[in-house]
Amino acid sequence: MSEHIVSRYDDELKDVQRRIAEMGGIAERLVDLSVTALTRIDTVMANTVIMEDRRLDEIQRQCEEEAIRIIARRQPMALDLREVIGAMRISNDLERIGDLAKNNAKRVLALDGQFQSKRFMTGVEHMAELSLAQLKDVLDAYATRDVHQAFEVWKRDADIDSMYTSLFRELLTYMMEDPRNISLCTHLLFCAKNIERIGDHTTNIAETVHYVVTGEALTQDRPKQDESSVTTVTYADN
Amino acid sequence: MMQSAVAPNALPEKISIKNLKFFYGDSLALKSINLPLYEKKVTAFIGPSGCGKSTLLRVLNRMYDLYPRQRAEGEVLFDGGNILNPGQDLNLLRARIGMVFQKPTPFPMSIYDNIAFGIRLYENISRAEMDARVEAALTRAALWNEVKDKLSSSGLSLSGGQQQRLCIARSIAVRPEVVLFDEPCSALDPISTAKIEELIDELTADYTIAIVTHNMQQAARVSDYTAFMYLGELIEFDETSKIFTAPSDKRTQDYITGRFG
Repeated sequence: MSEHIVSRYDDELKDVQRRIAEMGGIAERLVDLSVTALTRIDTVMANTVIMEDRRLDEIQRQCEEEAIRIIARRQPMALDLREVIGAMRISNDLERIGDLAKNNAKRVLALDGQFQSKRFMTGVEHMAELSLAQLKDVLDAYATRDVHQAFEVWKRDADIDSMYTSLFRELLTYMMEDPRNISLCTHLLFCAKNIERIGDHTTNIAETVHYVVTGEALTQDRPKQDESSVTTVTYADN
Repeated sequence: MMQSAVAPNALPEKISIKNLKFFYGDSLALKSINLPLYEKKVTAFIGPSGCGKSTLLRVLNRMYDLYPRQRAEGEVLFDGGNILNPGQDLNLLRARIGMVFQKPTPFPMSIYDNIAFGIRLYENISRAEMDARVEAALTRAALWNEVKDKLSSSGLSLSGGQQQRLCIARSIAVRPEVVLFDEPCSALDPISTAKIEELIDELTADYTIAIVTHNMQQAARVSDYTAFMYLGELIEFDETSKIFTAPSDKRTQDYITGRFG
């Protein structure tokens, strides 16, 4: 895309994009650290996540202010308008992703010193790996304005959803096996739910990338695989 | 080639421009323009200086006939008849298709007579009827309350914004069907501009409107459809909301986002 006649305008738009890139990097790191902290019950790492999330909130505020300033002063049109609106949306999603990672980190602090079993963690870890890969892909798609890549991310969210449904089932089963598992498994369920929602925000970002590049909303119904809200596991009383 | 996402036959066309070419002497200023003006909608013409947008507007009421060595080819269908026909009655045409110019052009006469002048050309009506027509036109142009106590003052005594509304009142007093605006706000302050824009919005209840403007935000604010022109060609015509959020043509995008080199 050629440059604006007013070069300051280009600087402002680039500034917003730079902040989004920075937020993306931090969000990825927070998701990664929060899951590692969870699998190792590492409270130091969990506290790092909680601290760093503030930085994400701060950049999100700056990003929003800059976007509002551009709208007020430049009255962006067409592609520029979509860029600015897109930046506002994506910064919101990234900020929410940070919050969800922080929530997982807080659960690590709660679980510290409690009964633990490695095998319970595996499912959550797998989900996190997938959602982290999705997040990385969508940030690449944003950076390169790659609609195809964004669309692929958008479709793949179904995989996270179905993993979540089966993990939900699995954790319920552990709880039935032994009431001592309940505390840990409940926390893990919330962590899994948080990761599933990180996936949803990632999908939002994919939709925004699509809108920014094409000017059209992704309107197809996304394949939904999260059936946890209608899932039950019957207690086998024998 | 022009791209358009507007479904054909979606709306009645008050004016249909077909294969319109326009010449200043030997120089071709409009290259085969095809464009509808939908009934009771506002269509904005945008584009850089010299793109032909004012020329196009001036064809629509044969304003160019006033100048030698200017000619148009093609068709401009107005309610089905081609206004480019040599037999076209120009006075009648200009009564049916009114025009408001860039600079306010009140006649050097009273406010009342500025309005009555045009009506007298076409109609012979009583003083009482004329009073009613003048009041109606000034009310419609949102000027009545400001001038009702000084109708005999000169039109030139009004402020720029009031003069422009007086010109709008004058053009709608003869009950046209189409009103053409050639950069009507370029000489006005933002408040007067807002009043004109509000007026344009109200006029769409009864009139088909075409507006040429250099102010992109104004086109975005007031129009339903936007035509982007460049070097005598129509590059893109579409719903205004589409043009300003996701235009199809790169040249349109470059222009409206301020990237034109």
